[in-house]
Amino acid sequence: MEYDYLIKFLALGDSGVGKTSFLYQYTDGLFNSRFISTVGIDFREKRLIYQAKGRNYKIHLQLWDTAGQERFRSLTTAFYRDAMGFLLLFDLTNEQSFLEIRNWIEQLRIHAYCETPDIILCGNKVDMEDKRIVAEWRAREFAEKHGLPYLETSAATGQNVTRAIDTLLERVMVRMETAVDRSMLPGRRGRPKDLNDPDLNAQEDKNCASC
Amino acid sequence: MALNPQYEAIGKGFVQQYYAFFDDPTQRQNLVNMYNVELSFMTFEGVQLQGSVKIMEKLNALTFQKINRIITAVDSQPMFDGGVLINVLGRLQTDEDLPHAYVQTFVLKPIEGSFFVQHDIFRLVLHDTI
Repeated sequence: MEYDYLIKFLALGDSGVGKTSFLYQYTDGLFNSRFISTVGIDFREKRLIYQAKGRNYKIHLQLWDTAGQERFRSLTTAFYRDAMGFLLLFDLTNEQSFLEIRNWIEQLRIHAYCETPDIILCGNKVDMEDKRIVAEWRAREFAEKHGLPYLETSAATGQNVTRAIDTLLERVMVRMETAVDRSMLPGRRGRPKDLNDPDLNAQEDKNCASC
Repeated sequence: MALNPQYEAIGKGFVQQYYAFFDDPTQRQNLVNMYNVELSFMTFEGVQLQGSVKIMEKLNALTFQKINRIITAVDSQPMFDGGVLINVLGRLQTDEDLPHAYVQTFVLKPIEGSFFVQHDIFRLVLHDTI
């Protein structure tokens, strides 16, 4: 099957926050789930159309899950390889899972393809309002401080699940378009690199243009 | 010290008892008695630990509630100090996660008619590349 872009997202967050249910909710019944048991990943796939500047792009979306390996060890760099967007989940009824988000962001800075990858923060299990421990304002304040979009989601009811993935996809697509445009700007190509150009350095350093 | 001819039964019996404690959260604390305060080493997914206190800290920090385990093979050998070397191949499933294969190796050191776990190495069978 042909597509314009293959995009890989990773779902991250503490065990039990609902990563697998979240991806299941997004893809269930309609799309493939494949588990590679010796690699410790589970991924689901979905096709969608992304519209930009009056054009339709066929997107092949791969959503990777940790398959529970984070219970035993930290995820290795190999796990993060080639991922372009990150769904960072915590459980609104579990304080610790919210506190751990800081560490997950740190892990992303170390392992992801660049230091400021596209992330969406999701406070999951919003359907369990009576058990909520993390107030919405705290999560919003945290997200704002780290420059992340924030949504309250429910893998159980589906609330904001599609919206979260669409929001992340849009950010990733905008980044890709920007990166491509940049390399095609007149005068850029073939010109000796100006090492004092901060924009250029930022691009070159982390290979963002190739993502 | 002579080779222990009972190595096979000791290996199987130990593995059964060890996992019976490990897999029941109300019994897991009993594992402390299987390790020595100083003379036990554990390597858990590459993390090195020495002594029963550190080892129990690690085991107690694991976050799953339920564990389902299937043992595929227990291979044992007698050691020249009277101990037993045990290698376990199995699968485990924690809570609702997908099942993973794992390998665990133990060295039982004889002490006053009994044994303690001198070495314990655990790895999930997960590779870095597809």
